[in-house]
Amino acid sequence: MQKILIVEDDEKLKNELKIFLLHNGYEAQTLNKFDNMVEEIFHINPDLLLLDINLPEADGEYICREVRKQSNVPIIIITSRDNEIDELVCINYGADHYVTKPFNIQILLAKIASLLKRSNTKNSQDKMYEKEFTINLSNSTLSKDNKTIELTKNELKILKYLTERRGKIVSRDEIMDFLWESNSFIDDNTLTVNITRLRNKLEELNLKELLETKRGQGYILK
Amino acid sequence: MKFSSFLKDKIIQIFFIIFALATIEIFLLAYHVGNFIRIYIPLIIIGLYTISILIEYFTKRKYYKNTYKILNDLEEKYLITEIIKEPNFTEGKILKEILDEIDKSMHENVNKYKYLTKDYKEYIEMWIHEIKTPIATSKMIIENNKNEITKSIDEELEKIENYVEQALFYARSNTVEKDYYIKKSKLLDIVNEVIRKNKTVLISKKIVVNTHDLEISVNTDSKWVVFILNQIVQNSIKYETSNIEIYSKQGKENICLYIKDNGIGIKANEISRTFDKGFTGTNGRKKNRKSTGIGLYLCKKLCNKLGIGIEINSKENEGTEAILIFPNSSYIDMK
Repeated sequence: MQKILIVEDDEKLKNELKIFLLHNGYEAQTLNKFDNMVEEIFHINPDLLLLDINLPEADGEYICREVRKQSNVPIIIITSRDNEIDELVCINYGADHYVTKPFNIQILLAKIASLLKRSNTKNSQDKMYEKEFTINLSNSTLSKDNKTIELTKNELKILKYLTERRGKIVSRDEIMDFLWESNSFIDDNTLTVNITRLRNKLEELNLKELLETKRGQGYILK
Repeated sequence: MKFSSFLKDKIIQIFFIIFALATIEIFLLAYHVGNFIRIYIPLIIIGLYTISILIEYFTKRKYYKNTYKILNDLEEKYLITEIIKEPNFTEGKILKEILDEIDKSMHENVNKYKYLTKDYKEYIEMWIHEIKTPIATSKMIIENNKNEITKSIDEELEKIENYVEQALFYARSNTVEKDYYIKKSKLLDIVNEVIRKNKTVLISKKIVVNTHDLEISVNTDSKWVVFILNQIVQNSIKYETSNIEIYSKQGKENICLYIKDNGIGIKANEISRTFDKGFTGTNGRKKNRKSTGIGLYLCKKLCNKLGIGIEINSKENEGTEAILIFPNSSYIDMK
C-alpha cells in the first residue's frame, strides 16, 4: 500500500483527509508536531506528500524547497490562496501539483493517482489485465484471446471505471459524475447509448453476461 | 477675465480719482492757474492711471488664462496645483498658498481612504482564505459520510462557495493595483473547469452541454476568466436553460468565446441595463430567483480590467448569448 503523508494543521481537515485516503486504498499518515517537519518527513519517508502552505512553525514553501533538495517525492500543495502568482511560486519551489481549498475531492484523488503512477513505474497502468479480458488504455482497445475491439473514448472511460470497481454496484449518477469530471459532458440518453454499445462490444467477445443492469440501482461488472 | 468685471473691482479707485481731480480743478480755477497746467495735471494722472490699470489687467489675464487652459487640459483636475506657475502678484500668491494647503489636506484625506480601502480589501481576502478551510473540511466530512442529508448540505455548501468567490473578486475588482497574472491559457481548459464546477446542478437538471472549437489559447488570467464564465453559466442555469453551447471563433483582431443558452432570455428594453450594479430585471425577481444584480456587473468590471470585451444578446423566451472578446495582444506574446 502506498503511503501518503498529510501535513496540515487544521485538525478536522487532517483527520477527514486521512479517513478519505484510507477509504480509497492508501495508507495515510499525519504529522502531529510541526517543529521539526523536514526531518519528520524524511523519517516517515512517504510515497507522496500532501502539504498545506500555511503552517504554524515554518511555511509550506520552505518545507517544499527543503524536501525537494534531497528527495524526488511527489508533492501536492494545498492552499487557500488562489492566484496565478502563488501557483507559480509553488511550482518553482518544486511542487508537482497545486490544489486550492475547497478542493474538489475527486480531482485531488486523480492527481494523487497520476503522480503515484508516474513515480512508481512498476505499477504502470497502460493495460488493465483481468481474468477474462484486457483493456489497453493507450490505444483504447478491449481484447480477449486474439480478438481485439476498439472502444470509443467514453466507452473506455466507463469500462475502466466499472473494472476498477468490479463486483460492486455502480450507480448511473456515479458514472455520470466520473465522466463529467473527466470532461465528457454527456447527458442521460447518451450514457444509455454508450452502455448499450459497450454491452454489444462485450457480446462480440462473448462477455455479455459480465455487465449486468441492476434495476433502480445501476450497473455491475461481475 | 472680462475687462468690464475687472473695472468694476476698481470702481472705488476710479471714483476717488475723479473726485480728487475735480477738487484739484476747483482749486486750480480758484487760484487762477494757467490753462496748460489745468489740462496737463488731469491728463497725466488719468493717463498714468490707465496704463497702470492696463498693465495689471493684462498680467492677471495672462496668468488666469494660462491657468484655465492647464485646468481644461488636465484629466485629473486636482493636480493643477502641481503644475501652475508661481504668480508674481500678491493676491495670486495668497491664492496659490491656499490652494497648496487645500491640496495637501485633500491628499491626506484621500490617502486615509485609500489606506482604509486597502486595509478592508486585505481583510476580506484574508477572511476569504480563512473560510475556505472550514468549507474544505465540511466537504471532506460530507465525502466521508455520503447520504441524502449530506448531499443536500453539499448543495448548500456549493452556494456558499460561489458567494465567497464572488466576494473575493468583488474586493479585487475595486482596487487600482494589478492583481492578475497574464499568461497563455487554453480556452478548452477554462471552459472544462467551469462546467466541472457546475456539474452537480447541470446533471441534476438534465442540461445538455455542447462544447466545440475550443482548441485555442488566449493571453489572460485564467482564474479571472473562470470566475467570469462561471457567472455566465450560472445565469444560464438560473434562467431555465435546457441547453448550453460554448464555442469560440477566431477573428482577425480577436478571439470570441460564445456562450449560448435557450433559457427565458431578457426583455429587449432591459438588455442595456444588465451590466448595471443591482439591476435584477423583471425575470430576476420572479419565481424566487433571488437575483442580486451583482454577477454581470462584476463580470463587466473584471473584463474591463483584463481588457476583455463582453456582450450580451438576448431574445425573450428564446435564449441568451454572451460573448467574451479576447483581443489578439501580440505584445504579450513577446514576453
